[in-house]
Amino acid sequence: MKKVYLGVDVGSVSTNIVVMDSNKNILDNLYIRTKGKPIEALKIGLRQTRNKLDKDTKVLGLGTTGSGRHLASTMLGADIVKNEITAHGVAALNTVPDVNTIIEIGGQDSKIILLRDGIVYDFAMNTVCAAGTGSFLDRQAERLGIPIQEFGNLALKSKSQVRIAGRCAVFAESDMIHKQQLGHNQEDIINGLCEAMARNYLNNLGKGKDIKPPVIFQGGVAANIGIKKAFERLLGHEIIVPRFAGVMGAIGSCLLAREEVRKTGKTKFLGLDIADSNFNVKSFECENCSNMCEVVKFYRDEKLAARWGDKCGRWSNVQIAKDDEKLA
Amino acid sequence: MDIKVGIPRALLYYEYYPLWISFFKELGAEVIVSQKTNKEILYNGIINTVDEACIPVKIFHGHVMDLKDRVDYLFIPRIKSVFMNEYICPKFSGLPEMIKYSIKNLPRVIDTEINFFESKEHLNDTIYRIGKYISNDYGFIMSAYDKAHLEYKLHRKNIEQEKAPFVNEIKILGKTKANIGRKRRIMVMGHSYNTYDSYLNINLLDKIKSNKAEILTPEMIEERYTIDYAKKFDGDIYWTFARKLIGTALYLIDTRSVDGIIYISTFGCGIDSVVGDLVEKLIRRNSSIPFSLITLDEHSGEAGINTRIEAFIDMIRWRDVLEDNISAHG
Repeated sequence: MKKVYLGVDVGSVSTNIVVMDSNKNILDNLYIRTKGKPIEALKIGLRQTRNKLDKDTKVLGLGTTGSGRHLASTMLGADIVKNEITAHGVAALNTVPDVNTIIEIGGQDSKIILLRDGIVYDFAMNTVCAAGTGSFLDRQAERLGIPIQEFGNLALKSKSQVRIAGRCAVFAESDMIHKQQLGHNQEDIINGLCEAMARNYLNNLGKGKDIKPPVIFQGGVAANIGIKKAFERLLGHEIIVPRFAGVMGAIGSCLLAREEVRKTGKTKFLGLDIADSNFNVKSFECENCSNMCEVVKFYRDEKLAARWGDKCGRWSNVQIAKDDEKLA
Repeated sequence: MDIKVGIPRALLYYEYYPLWISFFKELGAEVIVSQKTNKEILYNGIINTVDEACIPVKIFHGHVMDLKDRVDYLFIPRIKSVFMNEYICPKFSGLPEMIKYSIKNLPRVIDTEINFFESKEHLNDTIYRIGKYISNDYGFIMSAYDKAHLEYKLHRKNIEQEKAPFVNEIKILGKTKANIGRKRRIMVMGHSYNTYDSYLNINLLDKIKSNKAEILTPEMIEERYTIDYAKKFDGDIYWTFARKLIGTALYLIDTRSVDGIIYISTFGCGIDSVVGDLVEKLIRRNSSIPFSLITLDEHSGEAGINTRIEAFIDMIRWRDVLEDNISAHG
């Protein structure tokens, strides 16, 4: 019988699932586009995972991370629910034990994590703007009609410098269009964009931070070799892109779940067949006070499983009546 | 019938509310404070304020909307300076005008100028000019102020001793040294109207507390310390907020009395664009205290803030583990 741990990272752009054995070997990893439907993405992902695993596989534990980590935990039953910073830090340390800097660029946010002597020492995330994250790259690739997978390789073909403004996604796009109308080559413009993103990242997140090698580059955008090269040019040293760069968050939550279950001795995971359950979400605006919180009601197989979104706790704290509140 | 004086629960209310409320009460007025910030107040603030204002100023407009139809007077003083040789954020000087030109059908506005930049010699004159809206009796106004001032001093003292909660705004902890009992102690610094408005900061203080950490705010450090420490700063500080925050930072660096520092800023704040950076540099260059800057605006999505706070507290715990020479993982 095979014993495994599952790590789930529900991000804004992708939902990732990782299967890991007790010796920290990655047996399987999935990268699914969330497409604005985290519940659907999780169900699809979990079914695919189940189909690939042997019948007698036993799931010892499950951890969740990403901006949808609480939703995923409610759906699947998680042993540990951790923020992305910690999860990425744990995963990077497991891959490169002496890592000093993590550059992580995901769909909606980007992070820099500094580690010293094997602990997270400092971190920063992008502030109010998502310029320079994966979803912006996605949008540009789509606008140019280039599959995102080829974006990075095209940048490498660039022969001359085209400078694109990187501070703001809207300005960057206008700049790209302007340069394109001037007749610049597409690969030069794409390379300019990669440089702009790396420059913006280092100016914004890297400001005042001591970016020491070894530097790991992870998150979905790490698959873009153009941006990796741009970082290497700007920083002046090599950057490591781990084999599972796109699913590092999920790997981290796997490792954390493994540790947690070793402590508690049992798992809260509801089982792989939970993928066949019916999940429904309804939301309403609470009218009990002027905060008018947007409350979410979460149903598993027509039964209310959880509520959240209220500030006062009148909905989320209330003991959920198991049967009497059927999905209308 | 008593005269109704409305005080918006926003901006410097969080610094001076015991003084303001009891002054008008002593004068015999009925004091009405706007509701706590909520969705409606925020919405009314956003649609009634010039677009480029910061979110605390927008919220102030929302509080004025909440009060304007149920009071005789609105207390919106033109606060230029509360300390010698120091200014308040320039937006406060223009606040009465911003309100008058953005919001129609206002009751009378008590917009007396408060300016102690040169000296406090005309303090009594300022008090009289405010009190005159309610009473003509100079002696009565002065004695009302004396009583209110006593109340304010008591309130300040209570906060500095970390005893009193910030009356109804938040509940704060008892006195403990950093790290004792493994409860982490976090300084939440920033303008008081950002730290104490739990709607604006998406319940940040409660979120930190639920991560098993205690909270310290700049108001809880005795003012004489922040003033003294600010003097050690190499450079002129001409904003009162800046002096308080820089003094707080230098005090924390020297006393090592917290496990972490979170600086709350709002998008587009002119003072924070300078002071936030300065404080961060001071802390990072002169100490190893974990520091994080959180920028707020009108977004209500909590995911980003939750992630930052959780990760910040994880980081502090992780560091402790290292200091105890225990491996964190594996």
